[in-house]
Amino acid sequence: MSLPGLELSASVETNIEPTVQDLKEGSEWRFEVAFGHQIEVKLLSGNAELFGTELAQKQPYTFTGTKAAIYTWHGCQLEVHGECQSEYIAEETPMISYANLHFALEKSREEASTTARDAPRVLIVGPENAGKTSLVKLLTAYATRSGRQPIAINLDTKEGMLSIPGTMSAAAFSSIIDVEDGWGSSPTTGPSPVPVKLPLVYFLGLANPEDKTSVYKPIMTRLALSVLNRLQDDGESRGTGCIIDTPGVISQGKGGYEIIQHIVSDFSVSVIVVLGSERLYSDMVRRFNGQRTSVGETIAVIKLDKSGGCVDRDEAYLQQVRQAQIREYFFGDAKSTLSPHTQQVDFTAVSIYRWADSSVDLTSLLPGDAVEENLAPSIFDKEEPSPQMQNAILAIVHADPSDPQETIRDASVIGFIYVAEVDEKRRKLKILAPLSGRLPNKAMIWGSWPEGVTDMVG
Amino acid sequence: MSVGLPSDEVAEDYKNSLEDLTANSRYEISNLTVIARENTEHAMAISRVLENHIKNVPPDRKLPALYVLDSVVKNVGTPYTIFLGRNLFYTFMGAYSLVNQQTRRKLDEMLKTWKEPVPGSQETNPVFPHDTTRQIETALLKARTTALQLQQQNQFRAPQELTARGRPIPTPNTQWRNTPTPPQANSLYYPPPPQSYPQRSVPNGNFQSPPPFPPISQYAPPHDHPQPYHQQPYQQPPGYSQYSLPSQNLDSLKRDIADLVGKTKQEFASIPYNDTLRIRLQALLDLQNILSTQQLPPHEIQAIRDQVAQLSGNPHPPSVPPPYVATPPVPQQQPPPRSSQPQGSTPQPGDLQALLSSRNLADIIAKAQRSTPTPPATQAPRSQSQQGPTSYPPVSSGPGTDLMAMLRAKGLLPPNSNTPTNGPLGFASPPSATNTPPILPASLARPALINDVDLTSTSLKIPRPHLIFTLYEARPNQCSTCGRRFFATKEGREMKACHLDWHFRTNRRLVDSAKRGQSRSWYVDELEWIKSRDNPGDAPLTDASSAAAKATLAASLAAADPKKRHIPAPSDPALANQPCPICQEKFATVWNDEEQEFVWMDAIKLGNRVYHASCHAEIKKDGGTTPLRINTPDSVLGKRKSPSAGFSEINSIYAKAVKT
Repeated sequence: MSLPGLELSASVETNIEPTVQDLKEGSEWRFEVAFGHQIEVKLLSGNAELFGTELAQKQPYTFTGTKAAIYTWHGCQLEVHGECQSEYIAEETPMISYANLHFALEKSREEASTTARDAPRVLIVGPENAGKTSLVKLLTAYATRSGRQPIAINLDTKEGMLSIPGTMSAAAFSSIIDVEDGWGSSPTTGPSPVPVKLPLVYFLGLANPEDKTSVYKPIMTRLALSVLNRLQDDGESRGTGCIIDTPGVISQGKGGYEIIQHIVSDFSVSVIVVLGSERLYSDMVRRFNGQRTSVGETIAVIKLDKSGGCVDRDEAYLQQVRQAQIREYFFGDAKSTLSPHTQQVDFTAVSIYRWADSSVDLTSLLPGDAVEENLAPSIFDKEEPSPQMQNAILAIVHADPSDPQETIRDASVIGFIYVAEVDEKRRKLKILAPLSGRLPNKAMIWGSWPEGVTDMVG
Repeated sequence: MSVGLPSDEVAEDYKNSLEDLTANSRYEISNLTVIARENTEHAMAISRVLENHIKNVPPDRKLPALYVLDSVVKNVGTPYTIFLGRNLFYTFMGAYSLVNQQTRRKLDEMLKTWKEPVPGSQETNPVFPHDTTRQIETALLKARTTALQLQQQNQFRAPQELTARGRPIPTPNTQWRNTPTPPQANSLYYPPPPQSYPQRSVPNGNFQSPPPFPPISQYAPPHDHPQPYHQQPYQQPPGYSQYSLPSQNLDSLKRDIADLVGKTKQEFASIPYNDTLRIRLQALLDLQNILSTQQLPPHEIQAIRDQVAQLSGNPHPPSVPPPYVATPPVPQQQPPPRSSQPQGSTPQPGDLQALLSSRNLADIIAKAQRSTPTPPATQAPRSQSQQGPTSYPPVSSGPGTDLMAMLRAKGLLPPNSNTPTNGPLGFASPPSATNTPPILPASLARPALINDVDLTSTSLKIPRPHLIFTLYEARPNQCSTCGRRFFATKEGREMKACHLDWHFRTNRRLVDSAKRGQSRSWYVDELEWIKSRDNPGDAPLTDASSAAAKATLAASLAAADPKKRHIPAPSDPALANQPCPICQEKFATVWNDEEQEFVWMDAIKLGNRVYHASCHAEIKKDGGTTPLRINTPDSVLGKRKSPSAGFSEINSIYAKAVKT
């Protein structure tokens, strides 16, 4: 405390008087906290929940770099330390219909259990910033609170779920979702105050799936197979079904709709929820309403209003979110600090693949018959480590370097490494790996997304 | 009952076998089923033996006996379904009234399966005809309602109040009810002599004395419930009604509805845009209107009251009144469910019918179940009522009070404090202990909550506070650390205890790990993920890792991975100094958190020698890929199974999946 700088910053934080927010029943407190700032929220009385996960009374919850809302069904008092970028209380929320959606799903889960059918597979679609992920989180949290075990699936590569951006992942949720930190944390070698969730992760390394549907679709199909297998295998999850989050970009028209079509058939989706877009709703109704899933259920298409609390997140903020997610993968969060491991590896010890740029061009150039033969080997280009790789994120996948390219493409992710330095002279890479120990001798994929983080290793 | 025994021997034999059945033994039950199957020509005798057995065994053995019945009807079917179906109502209800709440739940489940075809059979008919099961269900429903009406009956017995209100005092008719018929007695099948059945005069004279052996399916006198039973209100049989004389009934009902309307109006005034409230208010006003403008026959008033009672009864079906045990099993002969009403065979004016069946009323019912702070009491009021009904404060003014009390307890009305001002009668509200209806463990209450949300945009817009209840108050037992909720049942408490243990262990380990440092683990592969199981109960096995998921994962890995194999460090010094015979290295002794003792990791004991499990595995290996050589034995990478193991397996799975 004798250090002047420390003392200063500490006193600035504590000088701010806590404010108390009184929420009437059915209202929510929406707040934004910038990166680098933090607030502490305590529930003094009443009941409150953040995206469906209930807060415990008198427990401090810390938020940083967040835009979120705390809703109360019964009214509550919140004590807030620290300064928000913006905050207000809203009385109009679509929570009633969101909660009713959960109960409708509960009903069909119950029906499913009595009639030995499958529990609902729910797909959430909607434009960017419509609150899709928040709704998925809410439905997941409510299902968990109802004693079920939903599988949440993220197909949006812009943001990661229990992983870094650029990935698609799935995880079963049977324990409470982390309130302070997105979806929570994937397993670490140590304990975690909030139960960690075990994700199954696939790497696309692209922000927009439409950029390379030839890769997005097979990976998604693979993820869907894993999920359906899990649903079949795991009684708990089978009775609950899954909830699928999608990128907003696919809700914008033709090419995207085709991806939606794929998702619907791959996951055998039985409920399509359209969030905040009339046009998309009518398009979806036209395409899917009354159609049958592979197991013969009728697909239901329903529309929900976007919450007034949804804010447009600008690119700068999103980038900070991405960086925070990557940082968190290696270094953990405020609750549990992780120690990644820096090491030097030989160029020869890594086999790095990158999506072949030409595949799209090839398809358009080559005559029909030739496409199949020529396209197959050109999913990836094998890359030598080069200075461009500096600051990049590489995904290590569950496939041997010698495996066929399809296998590498479809393999799930073991983990990520960060390339801190490329020393071409000594033919050495300085990398940051999440764990100490030798790197798995597996194929690595270098995507163009997420963009590199510059100041990872000091 | 007086059928001669065509096959005494078989019956006697079967009886003896049944008597050996003391626990829920699958073997014995299937054995008894086989015997039944092989002796279908004696089905009648066997059925009777089984029925008598169920009737006569002590409560704790009723369930296995019923399982035999269940097994026989499902596995053998006719003729047993016919013979056993005849008396199923008595058999089932007799048992149901005597067993504890846990068993009741099992019985409920069993009953549910009887409504469906036998799983896996081609038969599309339900196990028992719907008539038979419906009867039981109706009776159970009535029982639930009735239990909620008990206080009402108690209050009836406060003569001074009643006289003061100028009401006719119901003649206590207590003769047979006073006879302490022991539960095990045969009375199940032999109702008391008809003359002791309530037969005092009834103003409207439409009371019929029921035949002692009512044909089950028809015994449904529409309004033969002129008086409540007075002495043992608690033990009201299922379906026995709470109705008082029609005229009072009407008055009190009107008052109740007026009260309800008042309440609703107030509420509506404060939340004017609330659709549900509006609908409810409308429905209540309609009801009021009908009651005041039309002369309704008593049974219709009953019907309305039924609805209102249901409204108050639903969320907490008193299907679990354990003190039932002392109840003489008399109930069975009277209540045969008054199926006439639910099924609408009682003639009703169209508008009333419409009203009763309208969604509005459903909404009222739904509304009635909306969230309230869960009343704490469970058994207390019950036992009180059993010991001495007289201990009830003579506060009430009849059914109305009770209805109000129930509505209040359900949260339809604000809590007690408001009562005096709102009740037009100005009666004091009864102490909460008496007006708190028996509360079910929330887990049981849950299925009773009507979930009528459809996947349509309109249905999703209607507020349903009673369903929010299931997320909050239905699980009142909350973890103060993370906010997770648990049921107030025994299981819920156990789960919470496990959960708190988990917090405790995690916190302890967090302190430890702060010194050690931790890292992000590698992600699992597809096969592991598919096979992994979360452990929502936070059962002790999560000790190994902070996370349930991880523990399960680790456990599953341990089986496959020699590196995770460990044995307790040998205490025998000779053995403790022996190196691994394969690599000649000594074993490292480490503390294992999971086992809470010192262990040798990566060790396997075969005979008298201890090997490194990995060395041993390698030697035995059939030339597959060499596992990764890890320098740091603690690294998670090292704990993982060798990369190619399982990989081919999963790929074959996918190959299959793609093909299909």
